[in-house]
Amino acid sequence: MSAARAMLCDTARAVFAEAATAGMAPVEEAGFALLLVPEAEGGFGGDWEDVNAVLQIAGVTVPGLPVAESMVSDALLPAATVSLMAGAMGQALALSIEHVSTRQQFGRPLGKFQAVQQSLAVMACEVRAVEAAAAALAARLDAVGLDPAAADFEMAAAKLRANRAVGVVTAIAHQVHGAIGFTREYDLNRVTIPLMRWRGEHGNDAYWAARLGRQVAGLGGQGLWGAMTAR
Amino acid sequence: MHGWADMQGFALYPFDPPGDIGALRAELRAWLAVNQPQRDIVARANCWASFDADFSRALGAAGYVGMTLPIRYGGGDRHPLERYVVIEELLAAGAPVGAHWIADRQTGPLIVRYGSEEQRERYLPGIARGELYACIGLSEPGAGSDLAAVRTSARETAEGWRINGQKIWTTGAHFSHIMLALVRTEEGSERNAGLSQLLIDLDTPGITIRPIIDMAGHHDFNEVFFDDVLVPHGALVGTRGQGWQQVTAELGLERSGPERYLSSHALLAALIDAAGADPGPAVAVLVGELTAEMWTLRQLSMSTAAKLAAGEDPMVEASVVKELGNAFEQDMPRRVQAIVDGPWDDPSDLGRLLRALLIASPSFSLRGGTREVIRGIIARGLGLR
Repeated sequence: MSAARAMLCDTARAVFAEAATAGMAPVEEAGFALLLVPEAEGGFGGDWEDVNAVLQIAGVTVPGLPVAESMVSDALLPAATVSLMAGAMGQALALSIEHVSTRQQFGRPLGKFQAVQQSLAVMACEVRAVEAAAAALAARLDAVGLDPAAADFEMAAAKLRANRAVGVVTAIAHQVHGAIGFTREYDLNRVTIPLMRWRGEHGNDAYWAARLGRQVAGLGGQGLWGAMTAR
Repeated sequence: MHGWADMQGFALYPFDPPGDIGALRAELRAWLAVNQPQRDIVARANCWASFDADFSRALGAAGYVGMTLPIRYGGGDRHPLERYVVIEELLAAGAPVGAHWIADRQTGPLIVRYGSEEQRERYLPGIARGELYACIGLSEPGAGSDLAAVRTSARETAEGWRINGQKIWTTGAHFSHIMLALVRTEEGSERNAGLSQLLIDLDTPGITIRPIIDMAGHHDFNEVFFDDVLVPHGALVGTRGQGWQQVTAELGLERSGPERYLSSHALLAALIDAAGADPGPAVAVLVGELTAEMWTLRQLSMSTAAKLAAGEDPMVEASVVKELGNAFEQDMPRRVQAIVDGPWDDPSDLGRLLRALLIASPSFSLRGGTREVIRGIIARGLGLR
């Protein structure tokens, strides 16, 4: 990661931590709404990779605030939601790893049981897939000047892939946590409930799958490969 | 710091091959349009298990085999990511690359990395011509997923290495010229210590190869018996006693390639073609879901390949590609069957491809490391083991 983006992430962490209790005011004061605005117009001149990084942090710390809505146009909200989801899934995985590494049953940490290891490996693959989808979508959006129509294939594929990971990720995270993860007090629900919500917002599975499927049908069997490698 | 932390986060490793990649694709597609044998469409599925010596030789002559090997050994001195592009094109086209596949993918690069000058001169030019085929001698009757239980022994004598034991599930041993075998060179050694890699000419006296016919009726794998087989001292590859480390590095090449998600690609293409430009809702949704998964897998696979090419060791990421890729290519025929109407012996292209892949697919999460072993590697990357 570039030094500039690392600084941006540090700022986002600090500002969002404050916003978690104070609401949108600190986010607005810090000027995150100007992240994509060109420097010549008084903005930060950031790209979608910056948006992706910032929203992954927002997805963990302030999932209930309209941070994405303040930064991007409506047409790009599906893409922004993929980033929020990737961040929240990364957090669900981190909490799960921490829990099974410390919680002991039958005289050893839960993470030493093969059944638990295999479950978390499955979850980690889903999380990595969504991170990859978010990153690849960001690369495409930056390559086409943030034109949603030119990134329709990638937006559909990424949001659909993220949606499809939600069931696996939330189910395994809660299963390995046991009862503690089901309490209001413990942090897990602060990412799993938003994940359940985001799956249905800005296009559910059926919406994006049908849309992408029809687009691909128009390409034909060999055309799909040609289109995928040409982008 | 465990491997997971290094790979988690926002970025994919940039896939940035040198040269004009669009031109490379176009040249290869044009070449395939002329040279790819017009075999039955079923042969396009799982095509890296499809043997065709003439095609391998033609592909080698065209410069698409041994691409990354040094020019002085007959290779193309191309970048590993240029090879990646060629490989994904060959697989997407369903080209029969099975004969030279293992030699090109891993044996050649391993000989470059660990082999002696004599081994390089002896084997690499044939590999680059697409004429010299290799197999991998890892599994044994008592050493499947538990590879460190290998017992086949090689004792150093005045004349050379004397090998006794048995390998099994050896893909392509019946048509290969050489085997790269993992053997126990230190008497009394245990587990992953005391192992070495030997490069064995399969026409050496004392070697017996017996076919094992798989449930699809194909002869891909074999049993290979070694009865007092004598090979020269020069058969040792790399460092004596370092076999485990060398094999582990080799498996990284084996696990993250595009073949881990493109085995069923011919079926997806056939499904799209059969459904036409205005598919029903069930087919459209399935095509959409499969496309999203394939696109995501391609991003992960390219990122891992780029990391490998940069000299890093993305063991965990390679395992993620294999786990997700195998699930995808294995799931695809099952999900297609769930929505496509047709009898079991449906003679259409789609029907025959579907049947062939349903029967072949159990092997996808066994070959190259079982699903359970792969998930264990990922769990280690998460710091759990």
